[in-house]
Amino acid sequence: MQSESLLPLLLAALVPGGLLAQGVASPNALPVKAREASGLPWDAGFVDVAREAGLDLAFTYGAEDEKRFIIESNGSGVAFLDYDGDSKLDVFLVNGSRLEGFPDGNAPTSRLYRNVGDGSFVDETSGSSLGRSGWGSAVCAGDYDNDGQLDVFVAYWGKDALFRNGGDGGFLETAEAAGVAGSADQWSSGCTFVDYDRDGLLDLLVSQYQRFDPETAPPPGKTSNCEWKGMPVYCGPRGLPYGNVTLYRNLGDGSFVDVSEKAGVRDVRDYYAFTAVAADFDGDGWQDIYIACDSTPSILFLNNGDGTFTDYATETGVAFNEHGFEQGGMGVGVGDFDGDGWLDLVKTNFADDYPNLYRSNDGVFFEDICVRAGLASNPQYVGWGVDFADLDNDGWQDIFQVNGHVYPKLDRQTKIAESYVQRNLVYRNIEGERFEDVSALAGPALRQARSSRGAAFGDFDDDGDVDVLVMNMAERVSLLRNDLPQGRNWVRLTLRGTSSNRAAIGAKVTIEAGGLSQTRAVMSQSSYVSHNDLRVHFGLGAADRIEKVVVRWPTGEEEFFPGIASRRGWLLTEGSGDAVAIP
Amino acid sequence: MMGAMVALLCISWPAWTEQIDSTDPAALTDRGLALAQGGQADQAEKLWRRALEAAPDYFPALFNLGYMHFSAGRFGEARRHLARAAEASPSDFNAHYLLGVAEQELGRGDEALRSWRKALDLRPDRFQLMQIMAVEYGKGRYHREAADIAMRALRLRPEAEDLYYMAVHACREAGDLGAGLEIAARAAKRYPASARANFEFAWHLQKDGRFEEALPYLRKAIELDPSYEEPHFFFGDWLVKQARYDEALEPLGRAVALRPDYMPARIARARAMMGLGKWAEAVDALNEAVRLAPRHPQPHLMLSQVHFRLRDRATARKEKELSLRLRRQNPALLEAVQSRPFPD
Repeated sequence: MQSESLLPLLLAALVPGGLLAQGVASPNALPVKAREASGLPWDAGFVDVAREAGLDLAFTYGAEDEKRFIIESNGSGVAFLDYDGDSKLDVFLVNGSRLEGFPDGNAPTSRLYRNVGDGSFVDETSGSSLGRSGWGSAVCAGDYDNDGQLDVFVAYWGKDALFRNGGDGGFLETAEAAGVAGSADQWSSGCTFVDYDRDGLLDLLVSQYQRFDPETAPPPGKTSNCEWKGMPVYCGPRGLPYGNVTLYRNLGDGSFVDVSEKAGVRDVRDYYAFTAVAADFDGDGWQDIYIACDSTPSILFLNNGDGTFTDYATETGVAFNEHGFEQGGMGVGVGDFDGDGWLDLVKTNFADDYPNLYRSNDGVFFEDICVRAGLASNPQYVGWGVDFADLDNDGWQDIFQVNGHVYPKLDRQTKIAESYVQRNLVYRNIEGERFEDVSALAGPALRQARSSRGAAFGDFDDDGDVDVLVMNMAERVSLLRNDLPQGRNWVRLTLRGTSSNRAAIGAKVTIEAGGLSQTRAVMSQSSYVSHNDLRVHFGLGAADRIEKVVVRWPTGEEEFFPGIASRRGWLLTEGSGDAVAIP
Repeated sequence: MMGAMVALLCISWPAWTEQIDSTDPAALTDRGLALAQGGQADQAEKLWRRALEAAPDYFPALFNLGYMHFSAGRFGEARRHLARAAEASPSDFNAHYLLGVAEQELGRGDEALRSWRKALDLRPDRFQLMQIMAVEYGKGRYHREAADIAMRALRLRPEAEDLYYMAVHACREAGDLGAGLEIAARAAKRYPASARANFEFAWHLQKDGRFEEALPYLRKAIELDPSYEEPHFFFGDWLVKQARYDEALEPLGRAVALRPDYMPARIARARAMMGLGKWAEAVDALNEAVRLAPRHPQPHLMLSQVHFRLRDRATARKEKELSLRLRRQNPALLEAVQSRPFPD
């Protein structure tokens, strides 16, 4: 027997659902398509040459098919650095581990590769002492003892490592003796050398993502912080204990002292901190520090000039997105994309969100112009490594962003239209006004889909264009060689401090060429927990010489250098007033 | 309440007889129905229960009991009987539908949707049920399913204007801007005199990178219904995003005048003032926003930025800390909830 009457159907009032706790901040941003394509030619094409170059490390970072804990998902940084002083960029890759461990002697390690100079690399890990195993996360380099050799700091879940460069191809791990090892239960996630007190010695800032213990961390799906789009996933970061920030002051005798409380960096609490970048953002001659934070407001420590910092991220507009939403911040790039002399920031975020393009208006106030600038068209990606780099040498800094989701099981389901492996992105800078997605024009490497994390930028083959080194989860490293035709001019500046730290980390360089002003910062960490080539690359377009170079050294002193010719490297030594051609 | 119930009861209705076979479930059920009609609900219930003692799967008794409890607001009891009724007669639309409503009343939205899915399989033309389901899917953050069923309802009733907006909204929540744009375009064409239709189309055109095309529709929406605040806000906000702060003030001012509690419009207006360096006006605008919504973190966040620009770092810090504290207390105000697929 059937019932006969249709019961009255009343449309319920549209009531938004209550907010559930979420493991990661989510603005649910919708894509904003870019305007019509500019039609301008794009010449920079990238080819992954890692295999032929001899970079054979396939990264280990937790279980490959299913991540049970957040420690398995964040990946690690990579570095372009000249560790042996031969003016060729070498490669250092930070590796991870697995929670179940490895049999003795079989644990994967970080790897050091020496650049032979013919486009290939040789694995020098075993002789270098850099081959430590464990859950490595971030890398930053700097010459903390001013001996002319780049030292390396590697952040770990567990005690951190400081590798002092012996100058003979070998490093000595000295974190414990130097007082920067931290504690065994911390998860350090970002680091940067920075001379915050202008004494000519590189100090060290380390960000800690969280306090993590797999014994106490809840299992996947346990709470609403362990769910993503209805799928049970590993928990966090929300719901897990916050990390903090540690600042070590360099005493000049090979040791450091923890000044976190005194310097005020512990005044900020309740953050999940990642990539740390140091530069003089407000133009007062003192080094400031910006830290991208995950699912919490990001941090901008402005240097008070008296040994202390104050977080002004909210006040200056770089803590949240333009609508005041917290974001899943990961990587940060620093540059001057609009050529006004002020350092701008580009920050990558979790999926369903845009990156931030924080344009510095006057060094005091930043404005997130991501939508206006055309960077809001790809919110489906989880962004990690990112930086400004003039990829086509036209004099304007473009953006390269590497992507990859955090849940491998996305690739084994069909209900959620996202995947673990994702393409990377290239945005062309159109005269400092806006950006245009040119990924489809940027060579075969941009068609590869991987789950990438760290990225470092530098000209490893010294052919006058910027190449990219990329960390891929559970896959071989990518070395993306830029095969830019030789039409446009460029110049590469190596800075050497004398009063300042020898690697000139913290220097700001401004050039004038072809009617354009360009500014770059020398930094110890950027992108996603990675270290870029310390040499400063400028694309010059048709200009065949730089009319003027101004360096603001980390001491705060400004120095002018005369005009120099393009298409080669130059050494600028503090106090010399002269640029010397590098053979 | 019982009168309403009886009017909707669904069983056959034989002539009244005093002689009830106490083992005949049909007779017991019919007698119960008569009692219910006469306002004797308790007696009716007893007879229906007797009918179930005689025939535990007897659908009319199960349904009537379920509906009686439902009408009385006893949704747990209603659910129990209606679930059995739906099981006894799986092809009965109303049993599944009413079971779904009971589940919904009990806060079990997923179960409600499962019942309604079965009901809809039986009567695939019930567009009103599709509307209800679209809303329930949306409440559960099942935005893809909400969009699919809203579009299905629209296909059945392309003449129903509200269905266009429901489908557009659901597609937007699902992130399906392509489908949303297509439906919004149809709505704008079909209802050219509708401010809503013109606005929705303009919104989607802008997301599609076609703001110049969007502008005439936006202007038309404003012209058709000057009291509709959304187009004013949308236009003003877009101008702010383009750094056209001076032009943005007028539409944003209108949006705020039309809807004083429209916080995003107030924030965008303050941002335009800041872009113009009108710091004092920005402070006034934000203080007014604080007065209207003292627990909203965003005006305090903006105030911290303005005071910082005015070099009043102490006030800036105070406003920042207040903003952060309010954010923790009201996370829903500055967070979007993730969509998810419906669990089959």
